Amino acid sequence: MNLENELRDALRREPAPVDFTAKVLAGTVVSPIRVLPWWRRPAALALAAGLILGAMIPTAIFEYHQREERRALAARNQLMAALAITRTRLQQAKARIHRQTRHTL
Amino acid sequence: MKRALILMAAAIPALAQQNFDFKLLDKLGANAKGSTNITLNANMLKLAASFIGDGGDSIKSLIRGLTGVYVRTYEFDRPGQYVEADLEPLRAYLRSGQWSKIVDVREASKEASEIYVQALPNDRLGGLVVISAEAREVSVIFISGVMNASDVAKLSGNLGIPDLPDLPNTKKSGK
Repeated sequence: MNLENELRDALRREPAPVDFTAKVLAGTVVSPIRVLPWWRRPAALALAAGLILGAMIPTAIFEYHQREERRALAARNQLMAALAITRTRLQQAKARIHRQTRHTL
Repeated sequence: MKRALILMAAAIPALAQQNFDFKLLDKLGANAKGSTNITLNANMLKLAASFIGDGGDSIKSLIRGLTGVYVRTYEFDRPGQYVEADLEPLRAYLRSGQWSKIVDVREASKEASEIYVQALPNDRLGGLVVISAEAREVSVIFISGVMNASDVAKLSGNLGIPDLPDLPNTKKSGK
């Protein structure tokens, strides 16, 4: 019974003190509503990012093609040099064989 | 199935021959005053082929099946600045594979040419190696991949390849 009474006492509805509302409002800081300039709004930022990306992608593709073209040109020159050296060495071998054959005959 | 087996059989020597480590030839050029070092793998060859104009059909035909082109040329100030033994790693490699020496010509002046090939059916080659030695210059050419013997014969002719001095950007280094 005692416990029941104690609980009832503890949970009893009590009216708020008279100055309660004033105290709560005093603790609340009302910040003024800040209006962002248009260029700092999320939509504007997203649009700017999109435009920058839109400009960067073709530039990157162009640069990639340029780089590939330079690599291909260098590879072609190296290939032609390699084939030229091979041709010279094969002709040299042929000439040596001819010289040896002439000596033998 | 039969075709796949034939293709696999043709690919085996092409794969086997890629194992030569060209760093083993570095010793050869230790005293060289100048060297030419060209390394073109299959990707680079494909890239190079894309830049060969319409007039280069015979070159395109030659390189179509290639998987690598490697050239090492060393020039020396004086005779005797390299030793034959420095070529031994390559010769040992060629002895161990399916290579046949088709040319071995040595002259009194100690100049020599050796040509090795990997013969494939239907007049095709699985690789070509040329070793050319002179008193003050030594060259090693290693071409791997499938090529027609007739294209190689054309190569020793001309094949529309310009002379070396006409080629821009040839990677040539001097010491």
